[in-house]
Amino acid sequence: MGGTRRIAVAGYWVLSLAALAGAAWLAAYYAPVDADMGVIQKVFYFHLPAALCMFGACGLVFVAGVGYLWQREGWWDDLSHASARVAVLLSSVVLLTGMIWGKQAWGTWWTWSPRLTFSLVLWLLYVAYLVLRASIGSEQKRAVVCAVYGIVAFLDVPLVYLSTKLMPDIHPESIELERPMWVTLGAWMAAVTLLSAGLVAARYRVARLERAHEEWALRTGMGGPA
Amino acid sequence: MSAVRVVMLLAGKDLRIEARGRQTLGLVVVLGILIEVVLALGLGQASSGLRATAILWVTYLFGGVLCFEKTMAVERQHGAMAGLLLAPVDRGLIYLGKLCANLALLGALAAVVTPVGIVFFGFDLSAAPGAFAAVIGLSLVGYAAVGTLFSAVTSASRLQGGLLAMVVFPLSLPLVITSTQVLAGVMDRGEALDMSGLGVIAVFDVIFLTASWSVFELVVEP
Repeated sequence: MGGTRRIAVAGYWVLSLAALAGAAWLAAYYAPVDADMGVIQKVFYFHLPAALCMFGACGLVFVAGVGYLWQREGWWDDLSHASARVAVLLSSVVLLTGMIWGKQAWGTWWTWSPRLTFSLVLWLLYVAYLVLRASIGSEQKRAVVCAVYGIVAFLDVPLVYLSTKLMPDIHPESIELERPMWVTLGAWMAAVTLLSAGLVAARYRVARLERAHEEWALRTGMGGPA
Repeated sequence: MSAVRVVMLLAGKDLRIEARGRQTLGLVVVLGILIEVVLALGLGQASSGLRATAILWVTYLFGGVLCFEKTMAVERQHGAMAGLLLAPVDRGLIYLGKLCANLALLGALAAVVTPVGIVFFGFDLSAAPGAFAAVIGLSLVGYAAVGTLFSAVTSASRLQGGLLAMVVFPLSLPLVITSTQVLAGVMDRGEALDMSGLGVIAVFDVIFLTASWSVFELVVEP
């Protein structure tokens, strides 16, 4: 990695972590404590941005899948892999923060309400992507199958949403926030987006290096792929 | 040769193999009944529409996965898949042929495990047998559409059986959620059939039939 690039990457991470620290400070000291929910309401600042970034990551898996089937370039597959990993991470965050919120709001860790079911199905869909990926040996085949699965899984998302709409609901339909709460939410949105994009980029870089290593090992006959 | 004839020939071939060996259907029907026995021992007579549909879905899901696997596994023996791919027909038609064979097997499975479920759990379908048949029938088409596509993928992978279930179950959950909710409304609350729910299932079928038909060629290419 060149010197300029190294500095740019380091700068990006410093910026992201600073944004996260700033957002955490806002959530802790600036945003008021919710009258009904108490301190627990503050997980919401992490919950909503994580959910939005999760959709972004799922969309990226879809775009990378289409790109791969269209151009058959390995980097599309690496992008799809990186995005799927971040999608699973973010949807785990959404589920966990949602459960903490739900315990306080409804007195139970889990209830089969539409949005909880929706998040859980989404998590399952992208965990299955990672399992599928790990179980196919041939590189070419793996890329095609994962591209197809990434597309199909993304097509499934609106259907999961529509189907869960049929279930009885207790989730808040709209949220009423005071101005400091909006500011805090905005700060978290920026921080989580920066972190998510950084994680996708970092994982993408690792996948590129792995691919380069495998190609080098094949060409020289030295050392098998890790 | 017309497209319909090609599909009939391909599906007929799979069903003939099944009729001669009778390996798949015997297996999935017995498995389905076993699942119902285990659930009945735990749940007792669970006569609500919500539970009835969910219990039946467990048998359809597990039985279905075995059907998809078996109809694709015959192609892996003696290089049959290579021969099939060499046939001068559109590969989308090969997909449709497999889909029809799988649907026939799923239909046969449902024809046995559904009445058994009615006896074991005391489900009352008399309120709306037509709605039940329409919802389950449409859902099984969507399930077979996804299952047939991914059975072509996973038969070549290391994990095989578990993997197909892992991939197909989450994708099919919209069908399970919609059909259980719609049928609970019809059977438990005496409502009219929710057409928007039926619409979700129909949209699922159309999207996944089209998507699977168009990408099947990519996943089976050697």
